[in-house]
Amino acid sequence: MSLLALSNVSVRYGRLTAVRQVTFSLAEGEILFITGPNGAGKSSLLRAIAGVTPPSGGRIDFADHDITGRAPEDIARLGLSMVPEGRDVFGSLSIEENLMVGTGMHSATRGWKARAATELEAVYATFPILKDRRHSQAGLLSGGQQQMLVIGRALMTNPRLVAIDEPSLGLAPNITDQVYERLIALRAMRKLTLLIVEQSSTRAMMVGGRMMLMRGGEILLDGDARALGQSEAMQAAYFGYGEH
Amino acid sequence: MMSASVARRTFATPVLLGLLLIAFALVAVAVGSKPFNQTIIDIFLKVIFVVGLWVFVGNSGVISFGHIAFACLGGYVAAWTTIKPMMKGMSMPGLPDWLMQTEIPYWGSAIVAAGWAALWALIFGSVLMRLSGIAASIATFAMLAMVNSIYSNWESVTAATSSVVGIPIIRSIWPYLVAALISVFAAWAYGISRHGLALRAARDEPTAAAACGINIPRARLIAFVISGAIMGMGGALYSHSIGIVTPDTYYLGLTFITLSMLVVGGMGSLSGAVLGVLILSTLIQTLRWLEAGVQVGETTIALPGGVQEIALGVVMILILMFRPAGIMGNKDLSLPKRAALETKGPKSPRT
Repeated sequence: MSLLALSNVSVRYGRLTAVRQVTFSLAEGEILFITGPNGAGKSSLLRAIAGVTPPSGGRIDFADHDITGRAPEDIARLGLSMVPEGRDVFGSLSIEENLMVGTGMHSATRGWKARAATELEAVYATFPILKDRRHSQAGLLSGGQQQMLVIGRALMTNPRLVAIDEPSLGLAPNITDQVYERLIALRAMRKLTLLIVEQSSTRAMMVGGRMMLMRGGEILLDGDARALGQSEAMQAAYFGYGEH
Repeated sequence: MMSASVARRTFATPVLLGLLLIAFALVAVAVGSKPFNQTIIDIFLKVIFVVGLWVFVGNSGVISFGHIAFACLGGYVAAWTTIKPMMKGMSMPGLPDWLMQTEIPYWGSAIVAAGWAALWALIFGSVLMRLSGIAASIATFAMLAMVNSIYSNWESVTAATSSVVGIPIIRSIWPYLVAALISVFAAWAYGISRHGLALRAARDEPTAAAACGINIPRARLIAFVISGAIMGMGGALYSHSIGIVTPDTYYLGLTFITLSMLVVGGMGSLSGAVLGVLILSTLIQTLRWLEAGVQVGETTIALPGGVQEIALGVVMILILMFRPAGIMGNKDLSLPKRAALETKGPKSPRT
């Protein structure tokens, strides 16, 4: 049973088609990297899944709900947490407030405050630096700390799937290593399903898991990251020689 | 200076602001002059208006030019519910019979006004809150113009542009102080609530906020209704402070003075809203006295007329140049002891 299933999903901006009839499904607990060069449609696809940019065609199912065209806040409530590109923390709020923002959506259920407090401690345990600076203004954190904060924020709602857009963007390699180390640990701990968009496939090959390669709005390759990394098809897709 | 832990919300903030307001009231009692009393009442009313405005503008980041419309709605509720039935029959003959016979005390009219304004904020807000940025600001301005032209022309229930007289005048400062304190505490409670938090998150990063499960139009609507209620209460009390009401009392003049106070104080924090009123009002009052003339020995020194407006303009320009986020920036008042403890913690990149 797949957690997320897309069939023939397209995204258009006016006359420009960013994603062309993409179909794939993702099982619970899987880790999927979507890689590809600039303008491949990776972020558009992610935004369509999260409901930020409604798809212009096709159907998206998440956790047995048809979420095609639903508002992002509704999709988030179903347990799909997106971390948008560019680490957009709520700059004027404190770290702790940033983390607490998402928990409000469960306020209709009983005992949400106690659960939010538990989640907060869990996030602090994963990212101790956030606890040390819990009352600091989030806009003043370094890039790596902001990335940890947005990942922590996505975890606060206890999601089933976390979709992250370019977690390594603008980060020093050793900071990216730290971010990934935590992500992998979290995935093991919480049985999270991860969908990660990255421009470079190197990271996917290092981490392992499933990898899809996008180009021109279509999925060219889909398979095991390490196996794909070795293949010639991969290089052909990236550099555009061969049939493309 | 202050630590970077700006966003810490403490109960000390409304308490300190409340004490500041009480201090103003005590000064009025100590001075004991009637005109000074009226000045302090006017300051408390402005505190109510600007705090009401802050609940929406400060938390949503959407500038509203329309909030004085809710004060207008409230002001006329005071006229409808507190004027003696006989007088109402003459100035506003079109009122329904049950309303014509209604005569309630001033505090009752303030409560009804808050509810009435909140109802209209809910109706207007359901449509307006889907807009963002400058489009939302323009729409709120249209709302102000709409309310003003309805109240200026619906002669049988609002007496159109002529003044409605006979509203019981309340000259004691205490009701106004209590209402200002209620506004400050309500605004603070909203600010620390999850709804306030959600709205500030949406102000900073709308996309990320939606991804965190926040329904942005709804979060804005909640703030709009609460701020509408505060404005309505303030509007009713304003009518009781002067005893008459006209639509133009609640129009552009009041809109721009309250917005300037909010901008000067700093719309990022509740303390900014309150201090903006206190500082600008004190400045305006001082300049008024100086224009009227001060006795020094045998001679009277008076500033030329018009200095008040010029000085006010200069102060605003200076603040916008050197402190674009307002006097308070995004900071709130808190107890210095706790702030000192906080700075001993991990060093922050900005002080």
